[in-house]
Amino acid sequence: MTQITRRAALTLAALPLAAPPLLGQNLTKLRVSVIPVLDVAPLHAAIREGYFAAEGIEIDTSTTTGGATGLPGLIAGQFQVTFSNTVSILLGVREGLDFRFVSGASRGAMTPPDIFAVMAKKGSGIRSGKDLEGKRIASNTRNNIVWLRGMAWVEKTGGDWHRVTTVEVPFPQMADALAGGRIDAAILSEPFVAGALATHGDTLERIGWPISETAPGGTNAQYVAMKDELNAHGEVFDRFGRALHRGVDWVNARLTDPVLLELIAGFSRVPIERLRQVALPAYPKGVTPGELDDLLVSMKHFGMTGTYPATSSLIFRTAAV
Amino acid sequence: MRLSARPSSGVVLVACLLLLWEVSARLDWMHTPNWPPLTDVLVALAHDTLTGELPLLVGGTLWRMAAGLAAGGAAGVVVGMLFATLPMTARLFGPMVELVRPIPIPAVIPPLVLFLGLDNTMKVTVVALTVFFPVLTNTMQGVAAVEADTLAMGRTFGIGPLRRALRITLPAVLPYILAGFRVSLALALVVAVVAEMIAGEQGIGHYLVMMQFAGRAPEIYATVLVLAVLGYGLNRAFLVMEHRTIHWWFAMGRQADG
Repeated sequence: MTQITRRAALTLAALPLAAPPLLGQNLTKLRVSVIPVLDVAPLHAAIREGYFAAEGIEIDTSTTTGGATGLPGLIAGQFQVTFSNTVSILLGVREGLDFRFVSGASRGAMTPPDIFAVMAKKGSGIRSGKDLEGKRIASNTRNNIVWLRGMAWVEKTGGDWHRVTTVEVPFPQMADALAGGRIDAAILSEPFVAGALATHGDTLERIGWPISETAPGGTNAQYVAMKDELNAHGEVFDRFGRALHRGVDWVNARLTDPVLLELIAGFSRVPIERLRQVALPAYPKGVTPGELDDLLVSMKHFGMTGTYPATSSLIFRTAAV
Repeated sequence: MRLSARPSSGVVLVACLLLLWEVSARLDWMHTPNWPPLTDVLVALAHDTLTGELPLLVGGTLWRMAAGLAAGGAAGVVVGMLFATLPMTARLFGPMVELVRPIPIPAVIPPLVLFLGLDNTMKVTVVALTVFFPVLTNTMQGVAAVEADTLAMGRTFGIGPLRRALRITLPAVLPYILAGFRVSLALALVVAVVAEMIAGEQGIGHYLVMMQFAGRAPEIYATVLVLAVLGYGLNRAFLVMEHRTIHWWFAMGRQADG
C-alpha cells in the first residue's frame, strides 16, 4: 500500500496541485497531521496553553493512526505540517519529494529506559539478535524508524538481520501475538511497552533497548512541511515554530509533573495509570544535519540505499535551533 | 410474523453466546486482558454514550453513509437504466465498469486521499462507489426482466419511450433496485467505517482505532457492539420500508405460490 501511495504521490507532485489558501485571514489555519503518541505532547501543550492563538494561528490536528496518510496528505495539500518518523521522511526525500524539516519532535534518551523495546516471551530462550536468526520479529511497519532500530539491535547483539524475518503487526496487537507464540519477538514503542508489561508482565519480558544500545540519543521523529509552502509562506511557519517551541519548553519543564501525563492522557486516551509506567522521549526543538547523517548511514546499511540530498539543505530555519 | 411472549431460539442463542463471553472473560480463559467481560464493555458503552461522544460519532458515520448511499444508488439506477435502454452506452462504458467493479475499495482509499482529501468528500465518495455497482447490476438485471408484452402494450397505446421508461420499466424494476440497495446497505456501513479508520478524525471508525491505540479493550468491543446493532437495525428498517414500497410485488409472489 505504501508503495502505491508513494508512486501516486510522485505522479501528483509533478502536477500543479492547488494548496488551500493559507493567508488572508486574521487567524491563519494550519492543518497538522499527527499520530496519537507521546511525541506530539508539545504540540498539544502549545494548543492548550494558547501559544498558537497568540501567534495568530489556529491548529486543526488530524490524527491518523493506521494508514500512511500523513505524508501523502502533505503532498496533496491536505495538511500544511505532518508529524512523521525520520526514516519515512528521508525515504520520501530520496524519491524526490520536497519535504523540509520545520521542527524536531522526539529523540531517544541517552540511557535506558528507551521509548522502544525489544520484547520476547519468558522462557523462550531468546535473549539476543543471534537467538532470533531464523525466527520471526514483529515491527509495526517495515522500513520505518522502529524497524531500523530493531534491525540495528539484532546486528549489535550478534545476529544477521538478513536471517531474521520481519512480520508487520500493528502495535496494539503485538503483545497478544507474542504471548500467543505467533511471533518470537517484537519491537514495541511506548506506550505499548508499558501496556504489554502491565497486561502480560507474567509471560513477556523486555530483552533489549534498541535506541540506547545502538544509537544513544538517536533521532526519532520530526515535523515537516513542503518546500514550496515554506518559500511562499515562510513567515507563517516562523510563527508556527515559535509557538510549537514554547510548547516544547512547557513540556520539558514538566517532565516529572503529573500535569504532563494528564495532557497526554487527554489526547491519546491512554489510561493515566498506564502512562505512569511509560518512558518519555527527549523533546528537541531543532534538527541537526549530524543526526540526519548518522541515521542515513544506518538506513543505507540496512538496505535503504540510494541518493539522498545534503541533509543541511533539508532543514528550514525554524528547525535550525 | 408470529407474536409470542416466548423468545425465539435465535434470541436464546445470542443470549447464550453473550453469557459465554462474560464467563470466559471473568475466568480468563483467553489469558489476555484484551478480552474484557461483557459487563465492562456495557459500562464503557454507557459511559461514552452518556457523555454524548458516541451518539455524535455514530450520527456522523450514519450521515456519511446515507449521503454515499443516496449518491451512489441514484447514479447506479440512472446508469443501469441507460445501459439497459441504450445498448450503445453499455458497449461504450461496460468494459470500464467491469474493470473498476472488482477493485477492493479500501485499496483505493490512500490514492483517493490525494484527490479528495480526508474529510466528508472522500468518505462519501468511497461509500458511493461501493453502492454504485450492486445497484447498477441489479437495475440492469431488472430491466432485462421486464416483460416484453408489457412494453409492447405500452407501445400499442402510443406511449413514448421516456414515459415507457418512467411509468412501465421503472416500477417493474423497483424490486430489483431495492434488492441492490439492501445488499449495498451492509457494504456501505462497512466501507464508511473502514474509510474513517484509515484517515481523518471522524466517526465511529476513528474512535475504534484511537481506542485500539490507547489499549482500551472495553471501548473497542463497545464499538463492535454498536456496529452490530447498527447493521441489524438498518437492515430491519430497510425491510419494513421495502415491504411498504413494493407490497404489490410481495403480494404477486404469494399469488404465484398459492
